[in-house]
Amino acid sequence: MKPLLRRLATVPLTTLGVVTLVFLMLRLLPGDPASFIAGENANAQAVAAIREKLGLNGPILLQYVHYVGALLRLDLGHSLLTGLPVASILKQSLPITLTLAGSSVVLSTLAIPLGCGAAWFRSHGRTALDHALTLFALGVDALPAFWVALVFVLFFSLRLGWFPISGGLVWTDLPSLSLRLAMPIVVLALAQIAALARVTRTAMIEALGEDYARTARALGTPELSLVFHHALRNAALPVLTVIGLGFGRLLAGTVLIESLFSLPGLGSRLLDGIFGRDYPVVQGAILLYASLFIAVNVLTDILYTQADPRVKLS
Amino acid sequence: MRMVDVSRSLPTGPALGLDQLRAGVRRVLPNASYTAGAAILLPVVLLALTAPWLPIADPLKPHVLLSFSPPSFAHPLGTDKLGREILSRTLAGLRISLLVGFASAALALLVGLVVGTLAGYLGKGVDRAVTAAVDVLLSFPALLLAITAVAVFGNGIVQVILALTVAGLPLAIRLQRALTLGLKSRAYIDAARLANAPAWWILIRHVVPNTLPPMIVVASLHASNAIIAEATLSFLGLGITPPHPSLGNLIAEGRPFLQDAWWISTMPGIAIALVSVSLHLFSDGVREHLDPRLSI
Repeated sequence: MKPLLRRLATVPLTTLGVVTLVFLMLRLLPGDPASFIAGENANAQAVAAIREKLGLNGPILLQYVHYVGALLRLDLGHSLLTGLPVASILKQSLPITLTLAGSSVVLSTLAIPLGCGAAWFRSHGRTALDHALTLFALGVDALPAFWVALVFVLFFSLRLGWFPISGGLVWTDLPSLSLRLAMPIVVLALAQIAALARVTRTAMIEALGEDYARTARALGTPELSLVFHHALRNAALPVLTVIGLGFGRLLAGTVLIESLFSLPGLGSRLLDGIFGRDYPVVQGAILLYASLFIAVNVLTDILYTQADPRVKLS
Repeated sequence: MRMVDVSRSLPTGPALGLDQLRAGVRRVLPNASYTAGAAILLPVVLLALTAPWLPIADPLKPHVLLSFSPPSFAHPLGTDKLGREILSRTLAGLRISLLVGFASAALALLVGLVVGTLAGYLGKGVDRAVTAAVDVLLSFPALLLAITAVAVFGNGIVQVILALTVAGLPLAIRLQRALTLGLKSRAYIDAARLANAPAWWILIRHVVPNTLPPMIVVASLHASNAIIAEATLSFLGLGITPPHPSLGNLIAEGRPFLQDAWWISTMPGIAIALVSVSLHLFSDGVREHLDPRLSI
């Protein structure tokens, strides 16, 4: 249990680093941030008001203490544009982002049987699925997600009219909600499916070539049980890593996808904040993204030890 | 366990000439991915670089009478809303995308080499500080880091290059540090130290050259990722803004006309795909060439 505690102990430190970076972000803006945000034609009074609101008065160390203190009370400040508390704005948009990223993670696990199949057929001298998978992965890596999304919109929404690309989200109306979210989730999952399938394939090729796999075969283990029970458990480590890392990438991907499909999630708030120079919202959104990412990384590390007792956290 | 094909290693007599020829070809063209990558990349880069001197229309000059012409012999890739030639605009955008991709890859490589080597070689406090900073940067997904950096630096080519360098830096530093740590305990480094060679000499002469090949593989992948990231940022309106054409904002410009003038967004997208596929193939090829064991 001790290594686990040590791993958990790194979390507050990393989080503090992230908080410091986000704190410095506003202070690193070229020139005086308050007059930059207020715009060129603002009078001195308005600039002073913004400076006060952003907590830019006083010595920088004191500002830092105030900032961290407010964060501990979950006070992320107020939006400069609407005056609403940032925490409640983020709380409203978080479910959409989490639904998108979470569903994509679930969808992307389809890649595991794909990768297993490619590895198994390859070990039997049939490489068609293997080549198809490699080609798919290369295509997905090379094409920007937003371009793929545009092509999807063109075909499935504008030409065929299957999926709506605008309109509000009603959480209680499940059928229309899933129609609205289907395309964003699929586009978001594509890159993750490719990465996961490729890693599963490589790890499984290795696992199926090991001595224990040959022994199991010699003892008459059915092929399905050999692949999914014996080999996959040993190939689980890299697969888990990619799922964990993928969640972070999917989180970042939601910024783009939300903006493309006009979904009012965390990413849309972040972009609106950047365009509107609403820095409290920008800072809050970035902090939230980074905290989610840190949490998922720790979770992945802990899952490791559960999946493979040979791994020791150090 | 893999069976070794014994017949391959036996002398085959008359066929030797063909084998030698094959070996000769292999020396010039290490492997298929590498060759295919270079074969796509070089002409595209050449076209993009020489675009201003090619006999094609000015990418910025509007011809309203020609607006929304579909691809034809006169307008190979069609024209946009203002009748500007998509071919010239894609090539102009490609120049900027390549500049951003390669400049940020080179910068990340350079900073990664210096900081990573120092952290790995000096150890102790320096190493701990660098590792902590890298860990913090790695708590951001790369695209989010780039967006954050753009939010601080602002729009523009130089700012985007800086933002993408920041996004790629943590991995470059981490890899270089790990490589340096691996080399530090080698006998020839000890020998150099015993011969009283100064630290800077050991680093420049013995450590850095041996870390270069894997770092170059990573840098070429970074270039490909940076080109896509630049396109993404510009598409969102956070990167390079019109009238400067970049592949990302060209695609964004075509977005409202997706249904009636598909070529405006599609052509720059194909250009991105070509460059990115070739860079991936190229780095795969280089890696395979350096370490044949990796080619499963």
